[in-house]
Amino acid sequence: MIPRAPRPLSGRLLDPVIALTLALGYLAALLRSVQTLGYARDEGFYFQASSAYAGWFAQLLASPRAALAPRAVDAAWGVNHEHPGLIKSLFALSNLLLQQKRHLFAMEGTSYRFPAMVLAGVAVAVVYLWGAEARGRVAGLSAALLFAAMPRVFFHAHLACFDVPIVALWTLGAYAYWRALRHGGLLAPLLAGIAFGLALDTKHNSWFLPIACAAHFLALELWAALRRTRLAALLPAPGAPSLARRRSLAALLAMALLGPLVFYALWPWIWHDTLHRLRDYALFHLNHEYYNMELLGKNYWAPPMPRSYAWLMTLATVPGVTLLLFALGLITRARLWLGPLAREVAQPSRPAAPAASPPRMDAEATDLLWLLCVLINYAAWLSPQTPIFGGTKHWMTAYPFLALFAGVGVDAVVRAARRELLRHRRSSPLAGRLGRAPVAVAALVGACVLAAPLAETAHAHPWGLSAYTPLVGGAPGAATLGLNRTFWGYATGSVADWLDREAPRGASVYYHDTAASSWDMLQRDGRLRRDLRGAWSIAGADYGLYHHEKHMLGQEYQSWVAFGTLRPAHIAGLDGVPVIMVYEDPRVTAARPPAR
Amino acid sequence: MSRLRYAFLAVPLFGLAELAAQIWTSRRAPAFDDWLTVVPAVREIKHVGDLVVIAPGWADPAARRALGDELMPLRDVARPDLTRYAHALELSILGERAAELRPFRELDRREVGPFLLRRLENPAPVRVLYDFTDHVRPPFADARSTEADLPCTWNPHAQIAAGGLGGHPTFPPERFECPGGVFFNVGVTVIADEELRPRRCIWSHPFAKGELVTRFHKVPLGAVIRGHGGLYWLVERERRGAPVTLTVRVDGDTLGSYVHRDGDGWTLFEMPTGAHAGAPEAEVEFAVSTTNYRDRHFCFEADTR
Repeated sequence: MIPRAPRPLSGRLLDPVIALTLALGYLAALLRSVQTLGYARDEGFYFQASSAYAGWFAQLLASPRAALAPRAVDAAWGVNHEHPGLIKSLFALSNLLLQQKRHLFAMEGTSYRFPAMVLAGVAVAVVYLWGAEARGRVAGLSAALLFAAMPRVFFHAHLACFDVPIVALWTLGAYAYWRALRHGGLLAPLLAGIAFGLALDTKHNSWFLPIACAAHFLALELWAALRRTRLAALLPAPGAPSLARRRSLAALLAMALLGPLVFYALWPWIWHDTLHRLRDYALFHLNHEYYNMELLGKNYWAPPMPRSYAWLMTLATVPGVTLLLFALGLITRARLWLGPLAREVAQPSRPAAPAASPPRMDAEATDLLWLLCVLINYAAWLSPQTPIFGGTKHWMTAYPFLALFAGVGVDAVVRAARRELLRHRRSSPLAGRLGRAPVAVAALVGACVLAAPLAETAHAHPWGLSAYTPLVGGAPGAATLGLNRTFWGYATGSVADWLDREAPRGASVYYHDTAASSWDMLQRDGRLRRDLRGAWSIAGADYGLYHHEKHMLGQEYQSWVAFGTLRPAHIAGLDGVPVIMVYEDPRVTAARPPAR
Repeated sequence: MSRLRYAFLAVPLFGLAELAAQIWTSRRAPAFDDWLTVVPAVREIKHVGDLVVIAPGWADPAARRALGDELMPLRDVARPDLTRYAHALELSILGERAAELRPFRELDRREVGPFLLRRLENPAPVRVLYDFTDHVRPPFADARSTEADLPCTWNPHAQIAAGGLGGHPTFPPERFECPGGVFFNVGVTVIADEELRPRRCIWSHPFAKGELVTRFHKVPLGAVIRGHGGLYWLVERERRGAPVTLTVRVDGDTLGSYVHRDGDGWTLFEMPTGAHAGAPEAEVEFAVSTTNYRDRHFCFEADTR
């Protein structure tokens, strides 16, 4: 094993302090921007589930025996049992403890969203810690910020859903596995096991985590086997391969033992009839219904799904510079791993490097783990049977690792810049001074590469699902290409002000794709007048909302015929691209007093 | 090697270029209220009967909000096809063109800020003598069920019915109400076709038995009766339903039948009027039937030409 010099206390504290600052900064940004974001359809269902769980928690405190009776458990935890209970429990506890008891938030909905936001901060912090420890602070900090400044990540980080929580817990689990390899001991494998259990109790993407870690273990084995062949001279040697493999096995064992225990302990729904319910849970997701999704102007609603979907949507939604840095980071690391082999292939006549001096890798084969985490999180979308309805959120678990490679890319650029500056130190004293100021160079490079992702992320809000990168022409370009414009019906939040201002007292509003409970939460928040009545159909309603999705265009036509007009009274959207239309019954328009 | 030494600069430069591109892409399309500025020019260039087409299609709602129903009426926006229009006015942004207007010849163009207006001529327009969809009401039409020979009652103030999320198209307040439930009516609605485009048409959900007959009186005939049929695509795409047959009769003579099968989409039918061609007043019947009426959200439009 390569000995590592002990770092001074200030250095050891610095990374946690930076990580905490990043986490709190991200949380602050999310809290600051959350009030303009409407409630997504699924959030509405989770509000309902959380309320049921909150009732059970209250019963557990008041009368534990009664609460633990199977009938009581099933009554509460049967709600939305197609998803595990951990995150919804956190939503419930946050609402109970932070809102109902302490009135911490201006809006009740924020209390439900808060745990996911905290976990978003955790994800950013873990990306920093991992990047900094593995590849240095420049890489870590860049990775964390590039991850945080992915428009779709920022959007989902606001929501009382599971998509960002699973990103956080997936990354935490992988990080703990890596730390187990790096440091050994008991704590890291324990943490890996617990994190995996929490991930299992969050979302089914967690099933891929042990696959990635096991694949990493097998890759280490394969690498060690290859190192025993005549290729040894060409392959970089991990520092202490046998130790790393043993530790990998220990971490995997901890995940295998602790993960299911934590999962079981924290999801009361599976306390009874366990195997049957687990089977139902797995089958629900393995045979998930195919919802509609538009790609390149075509509406997909049944298999075969387009195999290019995940890659195209990544290209269209992750800032281009982040992807470029990812590629650069990957190439930088690949050169280190495969450089000798490539040179041998290019110049076979040259004698191979002596076996005694092969390039050395970290024992944990970090690059390989990150790459496996990227690939495994995308792998499901190689199958045309995999549903694509979730947009980018279903493979968002790959993004921390994509960002970590991007951080390596930033680090490589900073190093190259400093090298060139120092080379010119004689001809330009300024270049010399700059070259000797790594923080300044990193800040300059960082500003250049972060400006676009930050601008794109800030501009996307609150239209996160409508936002696309300049690579496809932004929102207008994406609309022309026929990429999905929105889903989940959350854009009602963006027309709430208009409805509050224009709708007569007691008016009814057909809320289209917005869940009734999401509509209710807007009213409980005070973002929508309480006298406005949500309606399930345009028939008899005074207003009709239409959230544009290609397959839902029939909903807009329902409004046309019901109201006898094609003229939306109000439109909201991003960069001139209509996302949500409000139709008004002409009788309401006629009855309105003329504007003064 | 020395040339590659500065390659690292490409990354920060790419980042700055992306920032510039982000600013550019976010500002290049007109804002929703900007569409109001083009209304006077549209009114000036558009002739009576001209079709207004928006390019790109996604900007259609913004255009409709500015131009209103007078310049973009339902019968144009949810048109069956382009053949009846002698001229079209293409209102475009961002350099886009409406693909369906490609065969048209440009007569005039004008730029108004970010908008381009082009008046175009259809190289082969067809004169429509009578549009059945415009006449689904008394005294022009009546409807009946042949199963029990029951008439469908005209109700100009019927309760609007709409399926809501994932549900059936809206049944308008003016419709013939037939026996058997709300789905059995004859009225003008809009369905989404296989491309989810709007199609204005006559709702004609067939009965379990017999025919749903919509009869039009005093119809001037040309050489053909031409139309389209289809089902609301979200129903039709399942391809589980029975075929729907539309039979066209003129003064009691059967001109022909059109059979619509799930998956066909918005499909053209055309029937020569034969000996009836040129008749100034004829009685035309559209009879819709099926072998299994489950989820048969059939809708058609037709004209004489």
